[in-house]
Amino acid sequence: MNDVPMLLPAILVLHAAVAVLLPPLAGRFGARVFLLAALPPAAAAVWALAGVPRILAGSPPQASIPWAPALGIGLDFRVDALALAMVLLVSGVGAVIFGYCAAYFHAGERGLGRLAAIMVLFAGSMLGVVTTDNLFALYVFWELTSITSFLLVGHDDRKEHARRAATQALVTTTGTGLLMLIGFIMLGAAAGDYSISGLVADPPEGGPWLTAALVLVLVGAFAKSAQVPLHFWLPGAMIAPTPVSAYLHAAAMVKGGVYLVARLAPGFAEAGAWQVLVLSVGLATMVVGGWRALRQDDLKLLLAYGTVSQLGFLTLLGGAGTQVAATAMIGVLLAHGLFKSALFLVVGIIDHQTGTRSISRLSGLGRRMPVLAAAAGLAAASMAGLPPLIGFPAKEAALEAFMPSAAPAPPAAAAWAVLAGVAVGSVLTFAYSARFVWGAFSDKSTVAERPSEPPAAPFAAAPVALSAASLVLGVIPWAVDGLAQGYAHALPAGPKPYHLALWHGLTPTLLVTALVVAAGVLMFLRRRAVGRLQNAMPRWPDAEYGYHMFVHGVYTAALSVTRRTQSGSLPVYLGIILATILVLPGARLAAGLATGGIDVPGPGEGLRLWNNPLELVVAAVIVVTSIATLREHRRFPALILLSVLGFGMAGLFVLHGAPDLALTLVLVETLTTIILVFVLRRLPTTFSVRPDGWPKRLTVLLCTAAGTFIAVSLWLMTAARTHPPISTGYTDLAKKAGGSNLVNMIIADFRALDTLGEVVVVATAAVAVASLVLLNRRDRVVDEPAAENAAEAPKDRRSDEEDPEPPGTGALALPRHPAGPESLGAEPSGQDPAREAGGADADEGSDDDR
Amino acid sequence: MTDDDAAPGRPAPGRAEGEWGRADRSGAPPENWEAPRERWLSTGVRPAFGPRSVLLEVAARLLTPAILTFAVFLLVSGHDRPGGGFAGGLVASMAYVLRYIAGGRHELAAGMPLRPNTLLAAGLLVACGTAAAPLLAGHPVLKVYSYTAHLPVFGKVKFASYLLFESGVFLIVVGLVLSVVAALGARMEAEEEEVRDRRRRGAAGREGGAQ
Repeated sequence: MNDVPMLLPAILVLHAAVAVLLPPLAGRFGARVFLLAALPPAAAAVWALAGVPRILAGSPPQASIPWAPALGIGLDFRVDALALAMVLLVSGVGAVIFGYCAAYFHAGERGLGRLAAIMVLFAGSMLGVVTTDNLFALYVFWELTSITSFLLVGHDDRKEHARRAATQALVTTTGTGLLMLIGFIMLGAAAGDYSISGLVADPPEGGPWLTAALVLVLVGAFAKSAQVPLHFWLPGAMIAPTPVSAYLHAAAMVKGGVYLVARLAPGFAEAGAWQVLVLSVGLATMVVGGWRALRQDDLKLLLAYGTVSQLGFLTLLGGAGTQVAATAMIGVLLAHGLFKSALFLVVGIIDHQTGTRSISRLSGLGRRMPVLAAAAGLAAASMAGLPPLIGFPAKEAALEAFMPSAAPAPPAAAAWAVLAGVAVGSVLTFAYSARFVWGAFSDKSTVAERPSEPPAAPFAAAPVALSAASLVLGVIPWAVDGLAQGYAHALPAGPKPYHLALWHGLTPTLLVTALVVAAGVLMFLRRRAVGRLQNAMPRWPDAEYGYHMFVHGVYTAALSVTRRTQSGSLPVYLGIILATILVLPGARLAAGLATGGIDVPGPGEGLRLWNNPLELVVAAVIVVTSIATLREHRRFPALILLSVLGFGMAGLFVLHGAPDLALTLVLVETLTTIILVFVLRRLPTTFSVRPDGWPKRLTVLLCTAAGTFIAVSLWLMTAARTHPPISTGYTDLAKKAGGSNLVNMIIADFRALDTLGEVVVVATAAVAVASLVLLNRRDRVVDEPAAENAAEAPKDRRSDEEDPEPPGTGALALPRHPAGPESLGAEPSGQDPAREAGGADADEGSDDDR
Repeated sequence: MTDDDAAPGRPAPGRAEGEWGRADRSGAPPENWEAPRERWLSTGVRPAFGPRSVLLEVAARLLTPAILTFAVFLLVSGHDRPGGGFAGGLVASMAYVLRYIAGGRHELAAGMPLRPNTLLAAGLLVACGTAAAPLLAGHPVLKVYSYTAHLPVFGKVKFASYLLFESGVFLIVVGLVLSVVAALGARMEAEEEEVRDRRRRGAAGREGGAQ
């Protein structure tokens, strides 16, 4: 049994393969494809169970697939006790939920195949998160779960609500995920090792660097695990189909952050800021989540806030860094996965059978669905921490972890505070667990019963099985304890070993538990008073409001930056560019010349009047045309003069023996001229005349300075060669490669990767230019007539409706209206038709010259 | 208008019976005997700007095949002589720009059945495909394979994979120029026309209302 083969990579591939198969099969088999979808997680769970003895014996199975070894990136897998617990949760509970899905969804559900495929992909990514041993691989799998979760939450993509909730979850988790990546890189760089096991075994030295890295990593983990104040996305994500919520938001994804905290705790729990952050955030989350769960009317939202609360609890335990806390963490982790997914599935069944999940509309379900009620009661009892369910020993251990007597605990004062917080959180948990069972199943005299059928046996099987597992593990807590000890032994031990068990004798912990239960019962019985108190409390600052303000702020900032920097005036843009050139490299050049740091070539070296007398002719053409361009006030002649200047440059290239350059320049020059002519049709015929004055003088000064700078720096740069040119060896290389045109050999062979990049840029620019121009034009054209003559508006609108072409398509502009005979002939007057339309735009064109 | 009547393949009226002199018994030449048999360009010509220019139309018609051939020549010969995919692409797109100037946007659409975006996509696909293909064989990205053949007429001819890469560049450049021409030329022209139409309709409507 000790040599279970390392099948994990193969199982991950199996997830991906099944995901590809599912969509085509969904059309034929309907919701039954979920049974096929359950195969990969089931395989993973079976494999993990088979490996239990070996893992607990301390030899975790490992596998490694190199990816980018030079950067320390690899698909390394390592399944130790913590990973095993997570695999059992992710894949074991996952397989059960997939089975439930087969009964939950109708065959006609929209996008069923897509849903199943993404769920399997999610299961695979999550399996990767919890088993990988490389920080980068962890990040990749982590973000894969974020993306698949985005698609799952937004499954009903026709609802704006769903899209918004999905975006919110995505922005929150991936945005902080980026911070986490920075933290990973900082950690790995400090330790010189990107493997998690290596990092934890040999953590880098403490200090501000480590603290910053840990804070960044924790922010990512907190957002993923919905900790206050980043918890808002989780209740929003409840818009997802219920099985998805049961899987992602109870068993799997939200545990990712907790897992990361627990994974790093053995190495970093002692480091600065870790304890403070983890304990305070976890505690706050536990209490806030529990408090808000008490207010909810929607059963699913109640569970969502309950999950937030439990996640806070788990973070607290996972990060505390003591053996007892770690033991409790594994216990609560498994217990929560079992009871919360069972409860979600129960809510799914209630919703499915009665059409509502609102407490104020449900009544009498306990009588009609006794099996379901019993299953939900067991799960809720486990959540409340009642014996003999698995939740009880786990919560006992948690309270024990913060008993001030248990060393090495946090300082006594902190321990008391945490203990009190956990106790309060547990009271709230008890109260909302009771409220859940009461709300879902009790007979309420004020509510009319809704007609409903009890669920079919296979449908109810999944929650019943999960609840039964809670019960069985509660009776035999040593089964979980083995796993818990396997993880906890890495942490500093207390005075005496602690094991998960139903009975530890009459300990102070038991007393606390009794108090918690008593207070919880009281709170449930006095629920009306609690409700009044909650309503009387001032409204807390809403974290979701904060998110919206943040998003809004980003938009506003972007808009105002754009407004300020994008004035739309070409002279201003050019002025900024030229000024930057002058200020940065220009100042450096001036300083270098002044201090003598830059050699000025003496007369006779590097500078010749000409190589070939023909250059004189070309230079004369260039000088004359540039002066003439400056003095020309009409746009079209100025354009022609500019292109003559360009051809002059091409002539210089020819004289210097660079026909390739010259050819390309001539072609580009020709094309730009033609394209500029197209644009000129829209502009007034002359440049607007600027008044003489300081702005004009400043412009002249700026341009002169920029021109001088470029000429001088080119002269100095060509003279300042210190190394032989890299192109020296290219001639031989080109001969070897069998081409004699060196330029093209470089472009298409030696430096082809550069060319590929440039080509991609060119293609992107082409698409962007076309879209920008079309976007702008279209708006203007549609608005123009309406502004001109409001009376004609109805007619205009009609002609818009006739337009079958959606905006932004049709790049080649095929004829929209078949050409009528009156427009086919030549324009009789010979007048340029474009001018007519161009005249209307004259005022806009002149804006560019301000 | 006469241009519109003389659709390609349809003989001009009065020429139905074939021989020139047979149809007339009065000694006068048949009607429209001087009408052109077919058009120079493939669509009803409406130049992008200004009045029609027969000279330009004829030049466009005659030069287009030559320019395109020259473009391909530049592409193929780029490795030993000036040219290459970039220059070739620019030359090829020049042919379409000429057609556009001579015949307007309908002519541009008729001369190039593919949209610029299709060209861009095809070019990217070819370039990236050529770049990535050696990976499949375990070679580095963009490795060049070449093969020299002795063909009966052409003599020694070298086939190399960079030619494919250059073809991708060629397509992308043509796509770039066409999309700019379509955006700044053809589309603007179409919209101007639309605005003109609306104004005309608006003016007619106002007159109708006044009467």
